[in-house]
Amino acid sequence: MYRYPRWPIHLALVGVSLLMLIPFYWVLKTSVTGENIFAYPPSILPKSPHPFYYVDVWYYIPFARYFLNSVVVSAIAVIANVVFNAMAGYALTRDFPAKPFVLLLFLSCMMVPFQATIIPAYLITGRLGLLDSYWGLALPQFSTIVCIFVFKASFDAVPRSLIDAARIDGLSEWRIIWRVMMPLAKGAIATNVILAFIWSWNNFLWPLIVTRSADMQTLPLGLARFLSYQEDTTGALYAFCIMVLAPGILLFLLAQNEFIRGLTSGATKG
Amino acid sequence: MAIAPAVANRPHRLARKRTRQAVLVWCFLAPSLAVFLLYRIIPLLWNVVLSFAAWSPLRPMRWAGLDQYEEMLHDDVFWQSLWNTLIFIASAPVGIVIALGLALLVSSDIRGRDVYRTVIFISYPLMTVAVAIIWRWLFDERVGLINYVARSLDLVDRPIQFLNSFVWALPSVIVANIWQMLGFYMIILLTGLQNIPPNLYEAAAIDGANAPRRFWRVTLPLLKPSLFLCFVIGMLNSFTSFDLVYVMTGGGPGRATELLVTYIYKLGFSQTRFDYAASVTIVFFVLLVGITWAANRLSGGNAGAVEKD
Repeated sequence: MYRYPRWPIHLALVGVSLLMLIPFYWVLKTSVTGENIFAYPPSILPKSPHPFYYVDVWYYIPFARYFLNSVVVSAIAVIANVVFNAMAGYALTRDFPAKPFVLLLFLSCMMVPFQATIIPAYLITGRLGLLDSYWGLALPQFSTIVCIFVFKASFDAVPRSLIDAARIDGLSEWRIIWRVMMPLAKGAIATNVILAFIWSWNNFLWPLIVTRSADMQTLPLGLARFLSYQEDTTGALYAFCIMVLAPGILLFLLAQNEFIRGLTSGATKG
Repeated sequence: MAIAPAVANRPHRLARKRTRQAVLVWCFLAPSLAVFLLYRIIPLLWNVVLSFAAWSPLRPMRWAGLDQYEEMLHDDVFWQSLWNTLIFIASAPVGIVIALGLALLVSSDIRGRDVYRTVIFISYPLMTVAVAIIWRWLFDERVGLINYVARSLDLVDRPIQFLNSFVWALPSVIVANIWQMLGFYMIILLTGLQNIPPNLYEAAAIDGANAPRRFWRVTLPLLKPSLFLCFVIGMLNSFTSFDLVYVMTGGGPGRATELLVTYIYKLGFSQTRFDYAASVTIVFFVLLVGITWAANRLSGGNAGAVEKD
């Protein structure tokens, strides 16, 4: 049944893979040579690569500062996101009178994209006095509905008898959460951590709105700002690009399965 | 006080347990509810109010009725950005069809399929700002790879100024967007393909259905929910796209790549016209809900809305 030649499939997939990878190669090449900024025709292989553009990045821009800002904002967002989502997901496994209303509220909030809230969100953050601060940058990402439902599904899958047994053994509510529920929700936690991190790390629009001072800028902002100052005239821009992308690619390769599981579970929950 | 008999004590304890549970539930829900209230519900209502008012941070609020919606009717930039956004949305199916082909190829039992999957998926989780810079570079007029290839193959005699051309700017941004979303669509479709029971194919083969027939009669109908899901997500992604356009073209040249979100951003934060930006936001939101609702109706309620901030 499956006796067809394999090479056309490989050919097609190798072709597409090249289309996905060549852009990275082109930028990587520019970042170590800078040669095709002015030269035409551009060379395909790098001639005399050097690391000087990477050094330039350290002197041109406060890379360490941007990096630190991104790390701090992401850390706040991820921790708050996971804790709050887990709490809300756990609450939703219980029966309480207003539950249908709360579910409806969450589902309708899901229909409001962040982009449709930017003006009032900016004004609200201003009223809270959080403009241009780490908390203001992280606050809108403190809870995400998709991940609440991922947690709910994970908690729902815990057999009722196990919880009852724990209760009969005299475990308090808190101990049941910590000792029984949380260990069984490890998958949901991993999924949520990765999704929340990617969302926060890559976020551009909100930092663009909320930050004022150069000291509070995160990596994507720094990158966009560097572009607007330098245009395409230096290989340092591409070195910066690679430095920003590298940690993300590394993390993705390490946690690919959790990430994919998160996307597909989040996507099918609806 | 009389000592209550044990029987009467019971409902009392039950009620206390119920109160304790209610306290727990609401305490657990409170932080998430507060965040959604603060950053979803109040902003939405605030937008509605602002859209009917004339207001800027230094002036007191004044009732403006439908003035701003009327202004929108005569605002060429608004219509242009609406049109661009619709084209951007209409490009999503192109990516989904390509991704369907890829998913079928990757799901065949070839060697190295995990490697292919990873490579094709890798662009999705990357920072969009960096992706935009990469594609600016590829589309560059003098030394960009795309112009270089096109000139080497004698497809063009003069380099095309992709991002500075009224004709090419929007298609260029769309290409970059499809490039980034391709892997995501493929993953969703792969999951859908894996959920199709293999014995259906065997049964179809025994009944004499050839490969194209098996695809049209078995694969495609069973993949429908995944395809609709891709469509809804792709549409929402195009609809709310900001980073890519903002960095690649800034909405230009002229307004050739202006999208609704970039227009709202500019109205609010470069022109400080919060009130008018709010009216455009309301139109944007109503359109979004309308299109999502229509897609859901078409799919028979199968496709769920998923956000990607």
